[in-house]
Amino acid sequence: MSIFIQYTVNGLTAGAFYALVALGYTIIYGIIRLINFAHGDLTMVGSFIGWTVLVSMGLQRLPVFLAIALAALASMVVTSVINVGILQFAYKPLLNKSLLAILITALGMSIFLQNAALLVFGAGVQAYPHLVTSSGVFIGGVRISYAQSIFFTISLVLMAGLYSFARFTTLGTAMRALAVDHDAARLMGINVNRVIAIAFILAAILAAAAGVMIGLYYTQINFFLGFLLGLRAFTSAVLGGIGNIPGAMAGGLVIGLLESYCAGYLSGRWQDVFVFGVLITVLIIKPTGLFGERVAERM
Amino acid sequence: MASSPAALKSVTAPISKVRERIGRLPWWLQLAVVVGLAMLVPLYNDDYVTSIGVSVLTFAMLGLGLNIVVGYAGLLDLGYAAFFAIGAYTTAIMTVKLGFNFWTTLLPAIAFAGMAGAILGYPTLRLRSDYLAIVTLGFGEIVRILFTNWDYVDGPNGVWNIPSPSLFGFDLVDQNSYYVIGVILVLIAIIFARNLSYSRLGRGWVAVREDEFAAEAVGVPTLNLKLLAYSMGGMWAGLAGAFFASRVSAINPSSFTFLLSSQILILIIIGGLGSLPGVILGAIVVVGLPELLRGLQNARFLIFAALLILIMLFRPGGLWPQVRARRAPFVGLEDEEEKQAAERPFKLQPSVAEGEAILRVQGLAQRFGGVKAVDDVSFDVRRGEILSMIGPNGAGKTTVFNCITGVQRPKAGRIEFDGRPLGRLKPHSIVRRGMARTFQGIRLFKLMAVFENVMIGASVRERNLPWQALLHSRGERRDERRALKEARYWLRFVGLEEEAGRLATELSYADQRRVEIARALASEPMLVLLDEPAAGMNPTEKLELMRMVRRIRDRGVTVVLIDHDMSLVMNVSDRVVVLDRGQVIAMGTPAEVQNNPRVIEAYLGRDDADEEAELAEATGGA
Repeated sequence: MSIFIQYTVNGLTAGAFYALVALGYTIIYGIIRLINFAHGDLTMVGSFIGWTVLVSMGLQRLPVFLAIALAALASMVVTSVINVGILQFAYKPLLNKSLLAILITALGMSIFLQNAALLVFGAGVQAYPHLVTSSGVFIGGVRISYAQSIFFTISLVLMAGLYSFARFTTLGTAMRALAVDHDAARLMGINVNRVIAIAFILAAILAAAAGVMIGLYYTQINFFLGFLLGLRAFTSAVLGGIGNIPGAMAGGLVIGLLESYCAGYLSGRWQDVFVFGVLITVLIIKPTGLFGERVAERM
Repeated sequence: MASSPAALKSVTAPISKVRERIGRLPWWLQLAVVVGLAMLVPLYNDDYVTSIGVSVLTFAMLGLGLNIVVGYAGLLDLGYAAFFAIGAYTTAIMTVKLGFNFWTTLLPAIAFAGMAGAILGYPTLRLRSDYLAIVTLGFGEIVRILFTNWDYVDGPNGVWNIPSPSLFGFDLVDQNSYYVIGVILVLIAIIFARNLSYSRLGRGWVAVREDEFAAEAVGVPTLNLKLLAYSMGGMWAGLAGAFFASRVSAINPSSFTFLLSSQILILIIIGGLGSLPGVILGAIVVVGLPELLRGLQNARFLIFAALLILIMLFRPGGLWPQVRARRAPFVGLEDEEEKQAAERPFKLQPSVAEGEAILRVQGLAQRFGGVKAVDDVSFDVRRGEILSMIGPNGAGKTTVFNCITGVQRPKAGRIEFDGRPLGRLKPHSIVRRGMARTFQGIRLFKLMAVFENVMIGASVRERNLPWQALLHSRGERRDERRALKEARYWLRFVGLEEEAGRLATELSYADQRRVEIARALASEPMLVLLDEPAAGMNPTEKLELMRMVRRIRDRGVTVVLIDHDMSLVMNVSDRVVVLDRGQVIAMGTPAEVQNNPRVIEAYLGRDDADEEAELAEATGGA
């Protein structure tokens, strides 16, 4: 039983990261119907920015929480700028033309970010400082590290923040309106371009947070980490029902748990087969994901 | 891109003119030129160049296959490398482990990959395209991981020493001979792909891509076609995989990653969706560009990605987009046969007698959430009459149409057509039974030519098989000529023969409605349902339309008409059914209905100025 709980704890931690990244996919998909392939790589870039601040600029010598806060802040600012840049340069001109064309520019952006990181940070693995100790408390044979509890809590707070933003603020309501109908939203006086840009900034902020936490938690990053991460996060978003914000959160946690159980009880080799198998089965039985999509069908 | 400078336009304009010119040459000549140019590569006699050429050919083959799935049928596939892997592994296992000759592995490679396509396709057919994207991506990953973990094929190490093929005692080992084989395979693939593109299948696929819902409703068996697209796409990749395995002589799972799938997708989209020259161009760009940039070392994929994005920004439709418009689609069709065709009886003869009920709707009910859109609606349509269905907005008229045509499943009720219950038939089967419809909002297949739109209707009962379309066989050619004649006939009927070769979107609103009617009539229905055909027409056009509705009935087709225009309805109809809030409130001849107090209340009691005016106009006019 304690082993099961241990797997659950590990799975929830990884799942929380997936959920943060999945939210980025879901927000952007909900608003412009684009599977933003570059999003996983944006998270990778966020992780590297945090690393740069902590290691290259030497901020890791500051008090731990200040250092992490500064690294996260810097990462959020840079990824936001990059993401809005991507939106303005690569997606905006194609928005009303062809969904497939945007999809290809998104794929292109993914390759671009990966190779840019490869050029700047090199092909090898970079080590994150061990700022948050991996020691922790044992409760009935289950080890919960401080890192796990802190990162999980931060993730939950961010998710709660995003949820309340979308649910209770005017801007959030505008965003949900946009997800249903661009033209109607525009006629109601919503500044569509601004709302789309804000969605991209929100996605970038969550991605940066996830990126820095992933670096601190796993302590090793490389330019390719965005691919698998993005794949799992996207899977989470679809599993929960794409466009659905609580769905993406739940989807991320479910994927994290599934992976952890599969790696623990079966074998790490089959982890992805298992995850995708579950995803495909769910979609066949319930084509709109576990919690239903929140995207109006544009007929 | 709107902001593209004028200087750029002056460069691209002559290029697109040249492209158009080339496009007008006979297609076999275009093909001969391409093959001729391709054969110059081995003459250059540089193994490096030739091997890049072989890569281009492999990607072209893959692109031609994915083009069927994504370009024609519009199904986003992000795991296409899986089929390529299945083909490659089939050849590798059969030659290395089982000792077969290369040539004998081709068919199994094609068959296994095609089967994998069907296996992936079948359960996922009902998914919308973005979900399909993730499922196909997952499928691609699953297949790759299966090969990685399969000990029989040495897991991550893969299969080595795959023999090269031999032909008439010669071992084909050098790059030049692979190149020649590649050119031949690509040539065959292009011919097949072109045959498919301009066949009943190809039109059906494009219809699915343009508007799946409408395609099903006008008689295209959408689920079957999607399954077929998957499985054909798989076969192409299987062939490419077999070729690839013997050429590189050692394969392992890392050759079949998501990156490969995305490269293939990229190549068909920068080439131009559905376009065959586009596939070749795209393959050259996707393979050649990184090679040209080789000198830049680490930066080459960065530059490649940047160029890719720029291409998409400046040419969102691709480098060589497919245009299905045709200048003179009916050239070479004999007029003599045309006359006979005009007098031919409808193939489907109703089994009920003239004046009997051809359509019987009993107790029809449909609910959306808590709203009763249609509640216990019963009425008959008699063979040979023009029946109109009128009622205020939201009365449930279109919902009744949707239930009758199988587009929606009613919550209750029984619908009998030509003496047989319709049960749970799919919309396309109902069209085959002899019921056709048009839509309230125009739903033509926009990027198809007008005549192709009508041919979709004309082909609903054709039975030729996929391989006939592939080979453009004699039987298939006969069916195609017949469908083309039908299309010309019905376009003449609605007065649009001159517009036949243009794209559907280029026509005026009223003309698009006429094309919809022609498309419905081309399926030779016994009953046709017209949903607000007069909407958006001016008075002259409405008069013409009324005449056309009578002409349709005079040909023995029963007509059910929905319209708001009271004067039109009252003049043309034999009987009128009035719906209000989901219920039938009156039924009878126009005169009876007009004087029915409930009808007057339904229209006048609403305090709706428009409807009042309409009713006044109608009563005054009748």
